[in-house]
Amino acid sequence: MSKIATVGIVLVSHSAALAEGTAELASQMGGGLVHIVAAGGTDDDGLGTSIAKVRKGLALADSGAGVLVLPDLGSSVLTVRALIAEGGPLPAPLEIADAPFVEGAVAAAVAAATGGDVKAVLSAAEEARHARKL
Amino acid sequence: MPGSCEAVVTLTGDLHARPAASLAIAAARYASSISLLVGDNRADAKSVLSIMGIGATSGQQVRIRATGSDAPDAVAALSEILAQATQVGA
Repeated sequence: MSKIATVGIVLVSHSAALAEGTAELASQMGGGLVHIVAAGGTDDDGLGTSIAKVRKGLALADSGAGVLVLPDLGSSVLTVRALIAEGGPLPAPLEIADAPFVEGAVAAAVAAATGGDVKAVLSAAEEARHARKL
Repeated sequence: MPGSCEAVVTLTGDLHARPAASLAIAAARYASSISLLVGDNRADAKSVLSIMGIGATSGQQVRIRATGSDAPDAVAALSEILAQATQVGA
């Protein structure tokens, strides 16, 4: 099974368990074709976010086609933005999705599995804001 | 004038997350626009969340409708996935 050249996805959550569970679900729905990495919790695995964990996640998720970051709550965005401001090596292109966490992760995983580029994967994740489940 | 094609599949199981993902991934390979119709509900077959949102259950008929240059191939491929993927255990 090839994992080459699909867009990677990093799930940034305040909870390591939430990020890992969502990554497990989205990975399966992406048919195992997509690098989906959980970056949840603080450095000592408490509730919160970690620049170091997100940076490691970006490196793991990047297979050359770029990476989409999906934050769980607004303050996760601050961590991602702080990391970008720090500089250092980052995937390119890199986008942050403004999307619901679970639905956005699943939609992004499926879009990445079809070979979509970062813009297409971002768009799939953000369309999840409008998806009804009832 | 793009061709249009459709087929009806009777589900042998509920349309859960994994078959929905398989359908959306397969649908993305075709240029045609593809809809799934169940009763009055319509889903875009290229959107996994849209497919899950129609809440199709065992015994219901799903109409697959494609419009575009590769519509017959798209309908054939999605019919097969829909028939197989909703079997119990999928």
